[in-house]
Amino acid sequence: MVTIKDCRRRLGPDVTFHCESFHVEPGEHVALWGPSGCGKTTMLNLIAGLLRPDSGVIEVDGSEIQDLSERQMDQFRGERFGFVFQTFNLLAPFTALQNVLLGMRFSDTRPTKEWKPRALDLLQRVGLQHRVHSKPNTLSVGEQQRVAIARALANKQKLILADEPTGSLDPKTSQGVMDLLLKLCSEEEVTLLLVTHETEIADRLERRFDCSGLVMDTTAEAPAFERNTA
Amino acid sequence: MSLWQIAWHYLWSRKLPTLLTVLSVALGVGLISAVHTLREETRRRFEEEGQAFDIVVGAKGSPLQLVLSSVYFLDRPTGNISYADFEHIRDHEDVAEAYPIGLGDTYRNYRIVGTVPELMEVRWVVDPISGRERIPFQLAEGRFFEEPLEAVVGSIVARNTGLRVGDTFTGTHGFEGGHVHDDHPYKVVGILETSGTPNDRAIFCNIEDIWLIHEEHDHDHHDETHNHDHDHDHSHDHDHHHHDHDHSHVHEFDKADHDAEDLEVTAVLVTLESPALRFTFMEYVMHETNVMAAVPVMEIQQLYSQILGTANTVLLSVAYLVVVVAALTVMIGLYLAILQRRRDLAIMRSLGASTMDIFGAVILEALLVTILGIVAGWFLGNVVSWGLGIYLTRTLGMAITAFDMSMHELRSFAIVAVFGLLAGILPAWQAYQTHVASDLTKP
Repeated sequence: MVTIKDCRRRLGPDVTFHCESFHVEPGEHVALWGPSGCGKTTMLNLIAGLLRPDSGVIEVDGSEIQDLSERQMDQFRGERFGFVFQTFNLLAPFTALQNVLLGMRFSDTRPTKEWKPRALDLLQRVGLQHRVHSKPNTLSVGEQQRVAIARALANKQKLILADEPTGSLDPKTSQGVMDLLLKLCSEEEVTLLLVTHETEIADRLERRFDCSGLVMDTTAEAPAFERNTA
Repeated sequence: MSLWQIAWHYLWSRKLPTLLTVLSVALGVGLISAVHTLREETRRRFEEEGQAFDIVVGAKGSPLQLVLSSVYFLDRPTGNISYADFEHIRDHEDVAEAYPIGLGDTYRNYRIVGTVPELMEVRWVVDPISGRERIPFQLAEGRFFEEPLEAVVGSIVARNTGLRVGDTFTGTHGFEGGHVHDDHPYKVVGILETSGTPNDRAIFCNIEDIWLIHEEHDHDHHDETHNHDHDHDHSHDHDHHHHDHDHSHVHEFDKADHDAEDLEVTAVLVTLESPALRFTFMEYVMHETNVMAAVPVMEIQQLYSQILGTANTVLLSVAYLVVVVAALTVMIGLYLAILQRRRDLAIMRSLGASTMDIFGAVILEALLVTILGIVAGWFLGNVVSWGLGIYLTRTLGMAITAFDMSMHELRSFAIVAVFGLLAGILPAWQAYQTHVASDLTKP
């Protein structure tokens, strides 16, 4: 589903991201794990096409994405990726239902008439059937993250990219959200790439990819996070 | 969910700034709308009145003054012409109808217009396509004048002076402060329906009453002050023979006792056999007689283009300036909103929105604000026009039809909409350049 080969991206004058090799099978749930600053999120952004590599190959769902134009990347992203962010990133002016609908609005993967039934179904599956018309600022943090998960799955995407999805949640809520995310990803048979620095969270996924050392301080010949924490 | 809906939700999410921006656009558009409405309506009303008569004939002087005084009752007459001149005009083969009018007296500064009863039956088509007619003399109550010293008063006069059918009043020579003809009281026999025309603020009587009153006034005046020079615009400063008058009852003026050269009229309202004859007839009057002719519609159009046209241009310029300022408000408001919304835009991009989707949504926001401003402004402008219309009808007898849309207005609104679109370009470009990864990671 995802393959990275010898991918480099310069992040600063002396800081470079470099991933020699990475591969995820379709339907696999993989944790990108490591300490802060190690390059987990950079790797996720490169896979999502939000950052472009300076060199190397990133292949997603059979397509090399590093050379796609901005327009092609927008379309590719809308059709194949779902995002779950640490800060939920719901759009404040819209209700829970509208936020999920927006996940479908920008891609052409399904007919318009299917949008609303699909959105309502997902909101029911995340236990928010009673809050479909609520605005994000009236939802609890756990509810907001559940809306974000519903939105990420709205298009039956092939790949869910989750960046520290439980980072803003208390342990109990965090566990509930992880249960839901893993359950829905299994039900929908989608590949999950989840960024986390928490070992307990990473251990709940099928596989853990250690990102330590992906971002290198080229002057010190050492992982950047080690310099940062020194 | 369409881009329109997305744009609308973002506008709705910041109601107060949106409301203020819409208001600023509405003020400019309202001003434009009001100026257009008032300009179109006043011109239409003036021209409709001007269409009533093909030619106005009067004493030599300013043609515009002649038209304003005799058709609109707005200015002092240019002077008087003899009744013989009137008869000469009336009997011309091109003339279909000729109505003499005699001005000079007022009642509480409202013109007393002496004329013939036939004028009360005048009507004319103002819109050849629909066949819509203007009937300026319709009675709200009572009847038209028939007997000597009977008067029909316009609706504004009735309202502002309290005159009712059966009441009596006396005219004043010239305006307030002049000689009061208290020995010849008029009796109100009818009140005109409001017509939105100058008739609303005039009093109509038989022209023979004017002759009668001024014959005796001049006679009395001669008794009191020999060779006193009048500075009045009325039609009868000529000498008259002494008569024995019994002031205890209403006198009747007998035209047969007078020479046509002795009687005067202020102006003659002329309807020709065909409007196409206007200029040839005017040429005839100008060269073959010692009086003056003017075409009302032409004079009014000249007045519009020369004086009111300039005033309208100035007002419209101010209005467009307000719109430009409003467009800047739209731009600044949206620009600041986009700066605050960079994260939202990045989220949309991460959901698959293209840069053109983002650009379009912001442009639509600008357009929506502008359209709302145009609608609100049109309403505001027409409410102002409507209010002014009520005021003008009450004071000047000029009705204004508000809540109408002219091509001029539509064109102006299209220009404002383009301003709105242009105002959206900078913020939209700002949004277009959203950098997804960095904007998503910002707190």
